[in-house]
Amino acid sequence: MQGNGLSLAPHARQQLAAVAELRWRIFANSLRTFRGRLELASHIFVGLAFVAGGLGGAVGLGGAAWFVVSQRNEEWLGSLLWPVFLFWQLFPLMATAFTQNVESSNLLRFPLSYRSYFLIRLAYGSLDPATAVASLWLLGIDIGIGVARPAVFPWATIVLLTFALVNLVLARMLFAWLERWLAQRRTRELMGILFFLFILSFQLIGPLIAVYEHRSIPETRILGQELSSAQRPLPPGLAAAAIAGAVQSQPGSQIVTAGLLPFLLLGCYGIVFLWLLNFRLRAEYRGENLSESVGRKALIGLPAVRPGWNLPGLPGPVVAVFEKELRYLSRSGPMLFTLIVPLFMLAVFRSSGKNEGLFAHAPQLTFPLGAAYSLLLLTNLSYNNFGADGNGTQFFFASPVRFGQIMLGKNLAHTAVFGIEVLLVWLGTCLLYRPPSIGVTLATLAGILFVLPIDLAAGNLFSIYSPSRIEAGVFGRQRASLTTVLASFAIRGALFGGSAVMLWLSRGYRKSWMELLIFLLPAAFAIVAYVFALNRVDGMALRHRENLMSSLGRRQ
Amino acid sequence: MVSPTISTENLTRRFGDLVAVEDVNLRVAPGQFFGFLGPNGAGKSTTIKMLTGLLAPTAGRIQILGLDLASKMVEVKRQIGVVPEGMALFGRLTGSEYLNFVGRMYGLDRETAAKRTAELLDFMQLTDQPKALVTDYSHGMQKKLALAAAVIHGPRVLFLDEPFEGVDAIAAGTLKTMLQRMIARGATVFLTSHVLEIVERLCTHVGIIHRGRLVAQGSLEELRAGVEARSAGLPGAVTGASPGEKLTLEQIFLLIVGGSRSDGQELSWLG
Repeated sequence: MQGNGLSLAPHARQQLAAVAELRWRIFANSLRTFRGRLELASHIFVGLAFVAGGLGGAVGLGGAAWFVVSQRNEEWLGSLLWPVFLFWQLFPLMATAFTQNVESSNLLRFPLSYRSYFLIRLAYGSLDPATAVASLWLLGIDIGIGVARPAVFPWATIVLLTFALVNLVLARMLFAWLERWLAQRRTRELMGILFFLFILSFQLIGPLIAVYEHRSIPETRILGQELSSAQRPLPPGLAAAAIAGAVQSQPGSQIVTAGLLPFLLLGCYGIVFLWLLNFRLRAEYRGENLSESVGRKALIGLPAVRPGWNLPGLPGPVVAVFEKELRYLSRSGPMLFTLIVPLFMLAVFRSSGKNEGLFAHAPQLTFPLGAAYSLLLLTNLSYNNFGADGNGTQFFFASPVRFGQIMLGKNLAHTAVFGIEVLLVWLGTCLLYRPPSIGVTLATLAGILFVLPIDLAAGNLFSIYSPSRIEAGVFGRQRASLTTVLASFAIRGALFGGSAVMLWLSRGYRKSWMELLIFLLPAAFAIVAYVFALNRVDGMALRHRENLMSSLGRRQ
Repeated sequence: MVSPTISTENLTRRFGDLVAVEDVNLRVAPGQFFGFLGPNGAGKSTTIKMLTGLLAPTAGRIQILGLDLASKMVEVKRQIGVVPEGMALFGRLTGSEYLNFVGRMYGLDRETAAKRTAELLDFMQLTDQPKALVTDYSHGMQKKLALAAAVIHGPRVLFLDEPFEGVDAIAAGTLKTMLQRMIARGATVFLTSHVLEIVERLCTHVGIIHRGRLVAQGSLEELRAGVEARSAGLPGAVTGASPGEKLTLEQIFLLIVGGSRSDGQELSWLG
């Protein structure tokens, strides 16, 4: 075989180069179409926004690091590294619209060594926006420390580089394990229970803070010290301690020895995360199958088949699509995970300070903002209606059902999901904060009546014009096209702005009928606009059927 | 004269500069089992997509059951069943959920859809994994499910794109039984296939498309007679048939499309 020019052990570097070239070719070929060029423009726009955020954060955090170190308050370095850590780990989960994962089956059909596979999976992570932004922030902190104490700069660089690697590996490890847990019903249910226990645990924060709130300042300081010591053994605390140790060391002494222990512990974290990631990726590499196939069983006679759902007043095909959408959603762990993120965020903000945390100054905004965030998280569903259908989209074109009815079924399913989310956010607001006033609740619901129909109509159009195939069952591959995501943000921005103006106008009038009119008139207009757009969907879908079927039929 | 179930007039489809289908005039009579053949890239799938409304023609007209497809698309779709190239399945439904869904999309009431779903699952031998998702089905099982979905509403015309591709002998037997029953009840079947033996055994009529043009159309006997007349006097080595022996569909096909491969071509590195 050697004589045939085939190396028995393909070189890992060649394979990595081949994968890089493949990605490049896919990218270059995508530019042949207008949609591809638009997608590139969207990527550049988002890239610039992330660079701006990264540079802005780097300047801010760098300035803060310089101040902290030059004022000899090194113990505060941890408070700079924690936001970086949390952003790095939480952003990919919160903003799935900007996160994309690699499909391992695409790689594993080649004679790829495990080492190459591992490196490729890790390399994909380093291209994540969260990694890029957080790395810029760390660079800012490093420069800030270097300017304040030039002697510490090399050591700080080593520590922060290690901290970055630990973050990178941890993020990939969390992603890989979440993908695993969300792939199967049993582990998904277990995760759901743990998540709700976690949410409920935030209930303890209120009473805990209330206990300390009325105590004297020294006791509050004790709480601060306890929190400070609690975070010390964690990666941001260790990185901060490693640098602080070096900063505090006497001039002339070995500055490295002072921060060596926390640095080594930080390295230990990295090794543990690496081992856990390796454990998961090796299972994937060996060809792990997570499908939930059930055993065969012999059946005598006709199988019992339950009739489909029945929603009085709606045509059969609309109900059939509605049922199909909700069944799909109930079997997509990652999608379900995305949908509970608003509750998670409410809990996180609740823990960020006294009273109502970040909402302390405007507690009434918790519910409307939570509802708005829930709508944003529906982007991958409502702005890419056919994404999860794949080849099934062909059926819609072969069936004798108008596209308007298909869209209506999908929109009703997404409205039902959104309704449940809004209810959960309302309950979460009541439990974690305080019940929103009736006025705020009604104004939010009226705002939804205005925003939702227009948002769904826009989503239907983008679903036809810019479809993107998604893998509903795999974490990190549920993203609509980036152009669609950006456009949806712009539309929502305009809609939320309109709602805010309506709210402001309604406050100016003292007559309740006038307030009602201000909310209900635009809502009526929005519903008319939705029906108008729905009636035009048939023609649009037929004109774009080839693009829809070819875009959704192929794997990316 | 009986009006054709499927007829096209100068059916043409272009993709940019490429003419995938050019001036195709098809005639398929009611009750015919019509096999549509052609080499790879000849335009078979493009034609079937246009006939079923999955692709718009660049030019030409299509009539199905006497109805103009462009203006009466929904009425036509109600009366036809389709197994397209990609099978059009929804992977994250179970087999019974999928059939139930398809039945209701074709206007069946809930009870009828459920009853036919049970019968079809039983007929297609898909009952032993009732909770398995379609995505976890084998390729053959998916093909059987796609065919079951195409017939759940009792279509008068059935369009099948490569129904026997990747299907084992047992499953192929089940599919053939079902198709023959449909023909016996007066339905029309239009299928594309690369497996010429199956087409020869099942189909009463054949159309051959080559480089986008319909180069032959008729019953097997008509095609055979035409080819034999054209190749009269040619040595058996050219036609592939022994003297006095009937030409097989494969020989007819190769003679019409002129398929040949240089034996001199070699892939020396294959060892």
